[in-house]
Amino acid sequence: MPLFVAGLSHKNAPVGLREQLAVEEDKLRELLRDIQSDGVLPELVVLSTCNRVEVYGVAEAPGEARAAAFRHLCRYRGLDLGAVEPVLYTHLDSEAVRHAFRVAASLDSMMIGEPQILGQVKDAFALAQACETVGPRLHTLFSQAFSVAKRVRTETDIARHAVSVSFAAVELAKKIFAGLAGRAVLLIGAGKMSELAAKHLVEQGAFPVYVTNRTWARAQDLARALSGVAVPWDEMETALASVDIVVTSTGAREPVVRAAAVARVMQGRRGRPLFFIDIAVPRDVEPGVDGLDDVYRYDIDDLKQVVDANLRERAREAERAETLIEREVAKFLTRQGDVEVVPTIVSLRAHLEEIRVAEVKRALARLPEATPETRAALDALSSAMINKILHAPITKLRESSRAGAGRSWREAVHELFGLGRRS
Amino acid sequence: MHPSLINPAVVGYICAMGLALAYLVQRQELVHRIAVLVTLAAWAAHSVALIVRAVELGAPPLGSLSDAISVGVWVIVALELMIEHRTGVRILGAFVLPIVVLLSLKATTARPATLAPALASAWISIHIALAMVGFAAFVFNFVGALMYLLQEHQLKAKRPGAFYYRLPALETLDRLTFRTLALGFPFLTVGLILGAMWARTAWGSTLAFDPLAFFSLVAWVIYAGNLAGRAAGGWHGRRAAYFAIFGFAALVLTLGAGFFLPGRHGS
Repeated sequence: MPLFVAGLSHKNAPVGLREQLAVEEDKLRELLRDIQSDGVLPELVVLSTCNRVEVYGVAEAPGEARAAAFRHLCRYRGLDLGAVEPVLYTHLDSEAVRHAFRVAASLDSMMIGEPQILGQVKDAFALAQACETVGPRLHTLFSQAFSVAKRVRTETDIARHAVSVSFAAVELAKKIFAGLAGRAVLLIGAGKMSELAAKHLVEQGAFPVYVTNRTWARAQDLARALSGVAVPWDEMETALASVDIVVTSTGAREPVVRAAAVARVMQGRRGRPLFFIDIAVPRDVEPGVDGLDDVYRYDIDDLKQVVDANLRERAREAERAETLIEREVAKFLTRQGDVEVVPTIVSLRAHLEEIRVAEVKRALARLPEATPETRAALDALSSAMINKILHAPITKLRESSRAGAGRSWREAVHELFGLGRRS
Repeated sequence: MHPSLINPAVVGYICAMGLALAYLVQRQELVHRIAVLVTLAAWAAHSVALIVRAVELGAPPLGSLSDAISVGVWVIVALELMIEHRTGVRILGAFVLPIVVLLSLKATTARPATLAPALASAWISIHIALAMVGFAAFVFNFVGALMYLLQEHQLKAKRPGAFYYRLPALETLDRLTFRTLALGFPFLTVGLILGAMWARTAWGSTLAFDPLAFFSLVAWVIYAGNLAGRAAGGWHGRRAAYFAIFGFAALVLTLGAGFFLPGRHGS
């Protein structure tokens, strides 16, 4: 039975359509059951995020299964299937495997390398498992997708460098200071962005935080919000002398931090670096401080430049990730041959084990005075016999499945041992 | 050198250098791990070669300049593995191993040395051993300074390039250059004093300097200035890095003098 993925994503469908089709979790449970009750999709996972709605499944006739799944989806959201159908893509077998790996590894994301998608895929899979719509095929596909995603994350730097201005500032700080623990931060002015940057710094261990503002009450408010200390506006220079990182974001028309003041401050610092993150426009820190030793000043454009460089770095890492995924897809496909016959092997083993345990029990019932050694010997003897008997059929099943003829052998084994209909 | 044993070590260092440079470009974890293993293996082969050489000579292999350089290389590689492990600066190998390869090629291709008879003494062995440990520390002082200047330039220029991503924080690099300077300086100082004392007993004059001794004194003055500046004058960062590079240049001239100029240290 072919494996398939059908759906739409930010790559081919506008946000207007995606948001109409997205399903929240509690509805998703019902949806999974409804789709499965049609009987065309023995295995099924539905992934619904703001950037994609996808159905992963195993079906005899993927086209029919896709139509059935999306008919239900559209019915839920009151959409016309005709409007959705033309933008749907479908990937089969190896393509589907590649797609699943790329999605989980965040290579198909709008922001390549963003970390949320893996969690979302894991949630979708867990939900489908809870609804019992996951069978052995999707189980192996998803567990492999998770491990591939983990490899991509650890072996490439795809998600390493910041793609937001405030995180880029934190990263820069880490290239200046050996660790941010215990580094003092001064916030000049109060803006949303500077507050965010300060929060990131504090998360990395920066401490304490000083806040100054022309309006004393505002400084106090923000200091309270950040568990920091408010500093009067005219004592800014004293504060500059003792801190390591300065975040500025005032609405002032003229720079509030003058190069001359910074030059004075630097003399007493004995070479301790001072890092200015200037998020204000117009800028708060005089560009002249660039000429001073141990002073590093990044304004909003500089930070954007760093973000752009980080994005280029991510794109380079994404190429490496793609090669890694190609290798994993190839490996997965060769192994899949085996997976097809694994349920048969498992039920065959379980069946014979059941017989063995029952027979050993019966034999022991007739031997009430058997010593523990005798019991152990009986157990070992019967286990050894089962394993020897099973060796040839299991090898044959694996080989035939790899050669593409797994099905007839599977059926023969089921018939011969009376294993029931489920395959 | 003992050719059959030293060659595997040199070949190993060359392979390790290639891998370390590949890691610098590609940053693949596996490549780095193999580079470390190859470095370790080459260092082990080198250790065996040095022991064999010592047994052959019946004395520590410190009598000729090429033997001494070989010992120096051995110390450098040991320090490289140790510092990389402790500081987590994984691209250290890419900077240090090219120096290691250059030095060991020079040491193996130099003419088989016969030592000036005046130099055969236990004191002289200690003089050379100390000088070599000092030299090894200054290799890291130089490399740390180089990395500091690269990173500092990138941060000031505000254009993150390849090195921005690969190099550690400025503070880490400044600390590395300071510590290696503090480590190397006492070794160099005592080494020079022993050399001067020996010169007095062997040639009757403390100031019987040959070109090697002259340049090593120049290096000592630069390093002494750098250390004093750092300890008392608040020197750090760029200025200290420039001095580290000047000092190393003087050490390179010292070695060059030993290899290419006639003098009392022989060749």
